[in-house]
Amino acid sequence: MIDPITFQIIRHRLYRVVEEAVITLKNVSGSAITNEGHDLMVSLYRPDGTLLMGGVGFLHHLTSAAEACKSVQRRFDGKIYEGDVYLLNDPYTAALHTSDIYLIAPIHHAGQLVAWSACFVHVYDIGAMSPGGFSPDSVDIYTEGFSSPGIKLVERGEMRDDVLDTFLNMVRSPEMVALDISSMIACNNVARERMLAMIDKYGFETVDAACAELIDQSERLLRERLRELPDGAWESRQYISVKDEVFKVVLKMTKQDDELVFDFTGSSPQAPYAINCTYWASLGGLFAPLFPLLCYDITWNEGVIRPIKMIVPDDSIVNCTRPAPISVATVGAIQSVNSAACLTIGKMLDASEKYKEEATAVWHANHFAIFMFGQNQHNREAIGILTEVFAGSGGARTFADGVDLGGEIPNPISRMANVETMEAGFPLRYLFRRRFTDSGGPGEFRGGTGMEFCIVPHDAPQGGMHYVVSGKGTDFPMSDGLSGGYPGAPCKYIWVRNNDADASDRNLDYAFAQTIDDMPGEQESVSWGVYPLLGEDALFVQWDGGGGYGDPLQRIPGAVLADVSAGTVTEAIADRVFGVILDSDKQAVDQGATETRRQEIRSQRLMDAAE
Amino acid sequence: MTRRFSRTLVVNDGDGGAVAHVCCGTCDHPLAANGTPWKPGAKLVASPVTGLGGDRWIAGERVVLRQFVCPNCGALLDTETALPEDPFLNDVLTR
Repeated sequence: MIDPITFQIIRHRLYRVVEEAVITLKNVSGSAITNEGHDLMVSLYRPDGTLLMGGVGFLHHLTSAAEACKSVQRRFDGKIYEGDVYLLNDPYTAALHTSDIYLIAPIHHAGQLVAWSACFVHVYDIGAMSPGGFSPDSVDIYTEGFSSPGIKLVERGEMRDDVLDTFLNMVRSPEMVALDISSMIACNNVARERMLAMIDKYGFETVDAACAELIDQSERLLRERLRELPDGAWESRQYISVKDEVFKVVLKMTKQDDELVFDFTGSSPQAPYAINCTYWASLGGLFAPLFPLLCYDITWNEGVIRPIKMIVPDDSIVNCTRPAPISVATVGAIQSVNSAACLTIGKMLDASEKYKEEATAVWHANHFAIFMFGQNQHNREAIGILTEVFAGSGGARTFADGVDLGGEIPNPISRMANVETMEAGFPLRYLFRRRFTDSGGPGEFRGGTGMEFCIVPHDAPQGGMHYVVSGKGTDFPMSDGLSGGYPGAPCKYIWVRNNDADASDRNLDYAFAQTIDDMPGEQESVSWGVYPLLGEDALFVQWDGGGGYGDPLQRIPGAVLADVSAGTVTEAIADRVFGVILDSDKQAVDQGATETRRQEIRSQRLMDAAE
Repeated sequence: MTRRFSRTLVVNDGDGGAVAHVCCGTCDHPLAANGTPWKPGAKLVASPVTGLGGDRWIAGERVVLRQFVCPNCGALLDTETALPEDPFLNDVLTR
């Protein structure tokens, strides 16, 4: 029996091990997606590969990397040595998509395997048909770049140059990909050194006992929490549209006593587009909201996984069969699994007097990917994501509005780069980047706003660049509201074709346009594929706010006034949706008119209702 | 006894063994026996998403926001995004 003080010290040391490893990853990587967007993950695993200490970053990787550790052990049984590092990125083995490479390292103490560390970054390129890895036009996994079910990259501390060179030979910008690999090796080295320092201090038996107890404790605490929550069943549904085809992720979550079952029966058959995800990806997708919403004070490890069951139909969008294309999975079906689970968990928490304040509407459900590629102003080939997507938008809670551009549930540390950082790396100029008015889902508590921005080529040796866009949310609002809250706004991805505009329509001032309607070119929706940003082209993007919570007519009128004053809600929506009437100078709420207006809306609802 | 179902709904446990009901949280109007789907007992307003939350809300032509409204007081009880042919999302409490 380990003493409780030592147990707590070791528990916190494990947190610190992961945190230091994350810092290493960010500092060594040269990719904005890693060190600005924080599209990364580091976690620790038990000798058998089960999750010991889940770290921050994209949480849907925590369980997938556990399966990666187990898979490597099966594949290399008897040939795993101290100082080895393994690379795995095959989605049909464990990873989420080929771009997210796992580097997995055994940790030995006195010749004995005592733990694993695993990390991932979205590498600069993976050799898929589209630069950057997201390949919306791919038709199968074979067009999605390098893919390994497990390969030894470092043996006994020595880099296997033949393996590394083979890998780098298959990707664009190999020097940047090599830096990504170096960052992950450094990360795992730091994790190993810190783990061994802890074992040296407390002894292996003590640390091992603490780790085993930590997992049992998490299981015990989660089961206790589940028993405190009401039994029931809650449903949610996410739509993904690609090229006029609609796919669905359907979820029924059932909670009984101390177990939760996530049943995705009814979800669409696997798609011909790369939005599909595998079994392990769906499992990770549902855990991404479960960890922070149900286990905010419980260590994220194998103990949390034990009370959870998942049912996914074969050959479906949430459990596809090789060689279905999969490169867009992380912003496709995985995120929809995530959002669907976020809503059902939110509904369950909202049904509990004790836990209602932990409930949330859906956050930023239309995570998209736009990768720029081409020659930059420094005459180098550049590939990189527009990191704005990581700014996200917060879903409304049961006691407060969602945070404007408040990030996203599956990644507690996501963020976007400064405009200046983006303009330094790419030949672009931002015309504007700001909160998107009326984008937060209306409700008693409003969803946080999303964003809108517009970019044009600038100082581009080849007149501009191209971009790969994997977008969703244009046909369907995806950030669902909770308890009567509205969803966040739908999205837009617009190519403004100023090059094709009649010269007589051109207005030089549009170089500083503050809306795309100030530009002369036609506006074309471009949510899926590869497009140019050349000459006088512009790219405009707007994304959804978080879902709202509660009936908008219950919102405190003064809060609506504040929204209008801040520019997050228009006066028209204040009137039409919130039923709030402002006085003529928009400085105060007209209380009498507001009460009358709200009663009108309630009556109108009953008149509009279908019999 | 009244129990919470959501911000907008409650479960009223029947006295003396009477059937418990899911009710409007504002006016207590009963919608369905507890443990069964309550949405059929509400009024349904299905509005096109386009334009619903602002001039810049533009969605697919057939996409609606279903608003489930208390038939007695007009309180908005729940919403869901849907295509017309898709079933209601049903939530039930069993304990």
